[in-house]
Amino acid sequence: MEYEASKLFFAGIDIGSTMSKAVVVDARGKMLGYVVGQTGAEHRRRANRVMEDVLIKSSITLDQIAYIISTGYGRVNVPFADRQVTELTCHAKGVASLFPEVRTAIDIGGQDAKVLKIKNGRLTDFLTNDKCAAGTGRFLEVAAETLGLGLNEMGQVSLQSDSPVKINSLCTIFAQQEIISRLSEGQPLPDILAGVYIAVTTRVVKLARQLKVEPPVVFTGGVAKNAGMVKAMETVLGTAVLVPEEPLITGALGAAILARDEAFKLVQDGAYEAHRDKKLTEAYIDFGEKNERKM
Amino acid sequence: MVTATTKGLSRAHEIYADRGRRMRELRKAGKKIIGYLCLYPPIEIITAMGMVPFRIFGDMSEPITAADQVSTTVVCPFLRSIIDLGIKGKFDFLDGAVGAHTCDIGMTTIIAWRDYIKDAPFTHLIDVPHTDHAPAVDYFEGQINFFKKHIEELAGEKLAEDKLKKACELHNKQRKLVRDLYDLRKSDTPKLTSMENLEVMVSLFSLPVEEGNELLEEVIKDVKERSIKPSKKKARLMVWGPVFDNTSLYELIESAGADVVVDDTCVGTRAFWADVKAPYDLHALAQRYLVDIKCPRTYRDTQHQEIERDYDKDLDSRFNYIKKAVTDWHVNGVVLQSVKYCDTHGYEVPNLRHYLDTLGIPSIYIEHDYSERSLAPIKTRVEAFVETLG
Repeated sequence: MEYEASKLFFAGIDIGSTMSKAVVVDARGKMLGYVVGQTGAEHRRRANRVMEDVLIKSSITLDQIAYIISTGYGRVNVPFADRQVTELTCHAKGVASLFPEVRTAIDIGGQDAKVLKIKNGRLTDFLTNDKCAAGTGRFLEVAAETLGLGLNEMGQVSLQSDSPVKINSLCTIFAQQEIISRLSEGQPLPDILAGVYIAVTTRVVKLARQLKVEPPVVFTGGVAKNAGMVKAMETVLGTAVLVPEEPLITGALGAAILARDEAFKLVQDGAYEAHRDKKLTEAYIDFGEKNERKM
Repeated sequence: MVTATTKGLSRAHEIYADRGRRMRELRKAGKKIIGYLCLYPPIEIITAMGMVPFRIFGDMSEPITAADQVSTTVVCPFLRSIIDLGIKGKFDFLDGAVGAHTCDIGMTTIIAWRDYIKDAPFTHLIDVPHTDHAPAVDYFEGQINFFKKHIEELAGEKLAEDKLKKACELHNKQRKLVRDLYDLRKSDTPKLTSMENLEVMVSLFSLPVEEGNELLEEVIKDVKERSIKPSKKKARLMVWGPVFDNTSLYELIESAGADVVVDDTCVGTRAFWADVKAPYDLHALAQRYLVDIKCPRTYRDTQHQEIERDYDKDLDSRFNYIKKAVTDWHVNGVVLQSVKYCDTHGYEVPNLRHYLDTLGIPSIYIEHDYSERSLAPIKTRVEAFVETLG
């Protein structure tokens, strides 16, 4: 044996629709470092950059990493990953590592929202919004643009409201028009903002209720960083929600912990290869061939 | 995957890729080709008249462009695809098209065909009642009789009793062979993938019944003699839902690390599980199509004599055929798929999921718009579903 299991490190990399995240953990599952960066059009194939950054942050080198799991929308574009696992399984794992008692996790990202049911740290059921941008971070971005505010500023201002206006439309574009008409009616800005958060939350909670919301509820994803959004979530759900210190990285964290579990299993089975020739390369994106059928 | 020795499977693969080829040959040789929609037109009558029944499907890789001129966009994209292909002349080998009132859009599709698709001048609509009560079966028998008379006019001759009996026997033989083929996937490591199975099923809808039976015999032999040793997969799944005539969904599920071992769709078991019973007359046909085919388009009111309805008992009498399949094929997860705007199947989903829950069988519900592109966002959910089973 040329390695000691206790000195191995593991990485999880989560390429989301908007943000790319990477986490490194040690053999005990303790986080050494993480990075969060924009995914962007060009960066879709550059998971290698995110990986380089997280290695620097964690003060280790690539050959110290025993196993890498990629997850998220762009998980196929991580050529140096040992395995791909869906973000649903990874989020559940990451959330459960921070809050072992968790039963329900709600994650709102840039372009999607998901609700996870977790039992004993394992994903048991899930739902995702698969139709449009309503109920996602994109909805908030559109609202912020309309009102000419920054996303964080928007959250802070909304906290001053005690009577949120009703935004009835579930469509992002129609809701934008509704915001404009509330503004021209002269409604106070904090009430409009609080109304926007309630609208997004209602949409997601509707999804969550299909799976039955059981406490403790953990709220993650980029949107959970917003104070207005957390308040709205608690109001609509009628229960307190737990938010991790860095709600963006639970997917990558879960992937890193799964990488650790997987590597240990391989070590146990005697199937682990200690020295692999691993390089951080850019992804080659293959668009595939189209099958033609005649009638 | 398909080797030179798998003659039947290669043939199915070719037919799947070009469904109209054999039909064009037969038509050139003087045969009349009758296209039909859904599972409800009794194809035994078409076969008995010396004509060839051809199941009309859409095309998931062809964008719908022409159909929007004649139909609204907020209806079944599968049926819109059919109208679209028809307007584009893709069914120019058909002599006729027969539709049935399986659902409202199923009915309007045949009306749109009559009005806008000039390739098949003979069109016929069969009204299909929506319950399986005895008076409904009698009414449906009358509708089958109308269809019989209409097609007799087209043929210029009467339907002979012995020919109908022969046709019923041939189609029953096909059903038996399909069930034999499905039995082969009960094994822990099936030697037939669900993609290959679908190609065979689609081929059966694109060939005269005798040729389909020959194909099935070849395929069954191929699969039994196959020397491949597939590895055991994480999950054994069943796919439920309306028509799915394209291998892409099965490919997506199998690439997530699962075997699809059985289905409840009308391009699979639903089409082949029930036989026509003796004496092979119109009443027997009505019984087979209206009562014995298990499609949610027919309300199977199993307890109509009881005043108090027991929900669980009702679900069991509606879905116990699914329980049987789940047991026989050792299924540990069900993928419920539906095409967008299909309220017929949509309303069935909560009941069926509840029933599967009580059986302890996990399930997932996915919806697509009958285009290959719309499957991509579903991939992650199917993979995650398989991960929860593994």
